[in-house]
Amino acid sequence: MQTLIILLGWTVLAWLVVRASQPPADATAPQSAPFLGGGTAGTHAWQRYHFRPYTMTLLFIAFEMEMMFMYPWAVVFVSEGIVALAEMGMFLAILSVGILYGWREGVFRWQ
Amino acid sequence: MTAVLLALAVLATLMLGAVLAVAMDRRIAQLAAGLARQRIETEAPDRLNRNLAPVWYFALAAAGLSVVPFAPGLALLDSPVGIVIWGACEALTIVAVFLHGWSPNAPFPLIGAYRYVAIGLPVMLPSMFVLIAAALPAQSLSLLAIVESQREMWNVTRQPLGLPLFTIVVLTLTLRGPMDFADAADIATGTSAEESGAARVVWEVARAAMLVSASAIAATVFLGGPLGPVLPGPAWLWIKTAALMAIFTWLGHRVARTTPSRMLTILWVILLPLSFVHLAIAGVIAL
Amino acid sequence: MAVSLLSCLASRAPAPVFAAIGPGWQAAVERLLARTGLRGALTPRDAGILLVAGEMPDNTAEALNRVHDQLPRPRAILRWTRSHETVDDIAARIGASWRNLGAIDEQDLLPDQPPNEWKCVGPHGQGGKGMMGGTPYGRPMAMTGEDIRDGLQLDRYTARIGPFAPMLPPGLVLEVTLQGDVIVAATVQHQPFAQPADVDAPELCAARMLRLLGLGGPARRAVRGGRPGGLWVRGAVPRGLGMIEGAGDARDRLAAFLRGDSPVVAAFDLPGLLPGLEWSEAMLVLASVPPSAVLRAASLPEDA
Repeated sequence: MQTLIILLGWTVLAWLVVRASQPPADATAPQSAPFLGGGTAGTHAWQRYHFRPYTMTLLFIAFEMEMMFMYPWAVVFVSEGIVALAEMGMFLAILSVGILYGWREGVFRWQ
Repeated sequence: MTAVLLALAVLATLMLGAVLAVAMDRRIAQLAAGLARQRIETEAPDRLNRNLAPVWYFALAAAGLSVVPFAPGLALLDSPVGIVIWGACEALTIVAVFLHGWSPNAPFPLIGAYRYVAIGLPVMLPSMFVLIAAALPAQSLSLLAIVESQREMWNVTRQPLGLPLFTIVVLTLTLRGPMDFADAADIATGTSAEESGAARVVWEVARAAMLVSASAIAATVFLGGPLGPVLPGPAWLWIKTAALMAIFTWLGHRVARTTPSRMLTILWVILLPLSFVHLAIAGVIAL
Repeated sequence: MAVSLLSCLASRAPAPVFAAIGPGWQAAVERLLARTGLRGALTPRDAGILLVAGEMPDNTAEALNRVHDQLPRPRAILRWTRSHETVDDIAARIGASWRNLGAIDEQDLLPDQPPNEWKCVGPHGQGGKGMMGGTPYGRPMAMTGEDIRDGLQLDRYTARIGPFAPMLPPGLVLEVTLQGDVIVAATVQHQPFAQPADVDAPELCAARMLRLLGLGGPARRAVRGGRPGGLWVRGAVPRGLGMIEGAGDARDRLAAFLRGDSPVVAAFDLPGLLPGLEWSEAMLVLASVPPSAVLRAASLPEDA
């Protein structure tokens, strides 16, 4: 509960400081055109953007879930001994096969 | 009323540290001049997120600094899972920077935002491995316990790969140097390409505040935080934080930035396996 | 008290200059922007002064007005057209304008109208062709097209990146179609401005690439003739990028610039080199070729 109050307090304070330090934004139409070095755009910039590393993000989720398991593992590690190290090593090795596969398939390249 | 004192200490550290970071970049005069200029609004922007992105960036920096102990055993957020709170601040920074680039509805900021997400997400992985490795000898996820576990030897000496790997993380969180994909020069300063006037200054100061916060976490986890012989706890924390800020600023100005796809490959193929090795070494030593 | 402290600090700030470079003035402007007391802005939103160097051809006048209007106010235009005005003189003029910006404060040059009429079905201008039609808030939305690698149908964004983009050679107008941040089509709509041979100087070419690699300080040191002093500079350029017959790849050319050599680059196909490259790679490739070679390559296809 105290954590939540502190975090909300920082957010409110940050909002007040940012609000006080900058005037409202305004612009005439030619001022608000997107910067393209003097050129023109045909469309809005918002689009169904082709986020090319999307396959990498699937691999990232796998590692993120593994990180979730590592949090409690770190707390009991010393009392569990070498067995804990071996088990986490196996988990990481299995996921590393995923990295190798992804590397061969080119998920870390942009195109 | 130690909570009030600690909150004031966090706020003072953040504000003075941000000024120090801007001074290390030699940009104080530039930012002071920028405050007086017009703040331009782009065509059909997402106003709510544009106004809130720097707010969240500041709030995450403050939240991250709240878990750092200013004296052995004394932190504003004395949580048994301090590392997890800091990890949440890191991950939400990616969201804040993305929204900063998304909201102007312009091509270059949008490219900067998506590039940053592509690099920022994998950087979270070595960050957590390094912090968990530091938690192993402490047998706890709390930063206070990690500080206590460094009384004999600092983590930077018994876990040597930790600070270099965490340097990459800090450079990514504060959009500096080799990891500055969000505000890069080839996309006309990226997420800040359509920002002018006070909004630009506020974003730069928020980056500086995040540098203070991340350096304080690095000082706590690797350099023993408030531990030290003669001076009181907070003084040691400030000295170590300032030293790390200087190192990170220097690296940010000197190291070249490669293309995003190459950095992605380097992160997954070199840095992540290095963090596995680091974890293994830390595990063996802790036993 | 705080206000006067701020204004005291602000008066010592380096003048932010956005340079619109015209024919024949690229080398002079790049050397000017490396001086202390000024800084070159990468975007007009960051700048207070628009420096128009050289006589611009008439067909770029509207683009220049667009860039001028994108500077935040207060702003000033400075024209540097007389070659007998030295670098010191123009730097002094820039400094004087920067300190007097409140008095100068140029008005907009283009009329205050949205780019399209807000027509169509809905109240914000949207509607028409299914979900994505109409001109909401004054512009249409991007439509889909096939991706060049895997046929995935995602949006293509087409724009003309103009004659005064700081990361492109001055005068080059590229009509690029981007899917995400990969260029899928690029055509040259206006050739780069003609520049004299001193723009191929290896320190200027090295400085252009160093700026794209994020090393602003080393770039300034390089232009002034010293050692740039960055870390991992050659390694940061990917191997095999921008391979041109007889001139190696971008990393080899950067190494040559840093050594002080000017590699001779034969004719190459500029619009054929760019598609398939991601934006930062494309910018690195364009910067790694000396400007006279880019001008020759962009002028070659007369039927473009």
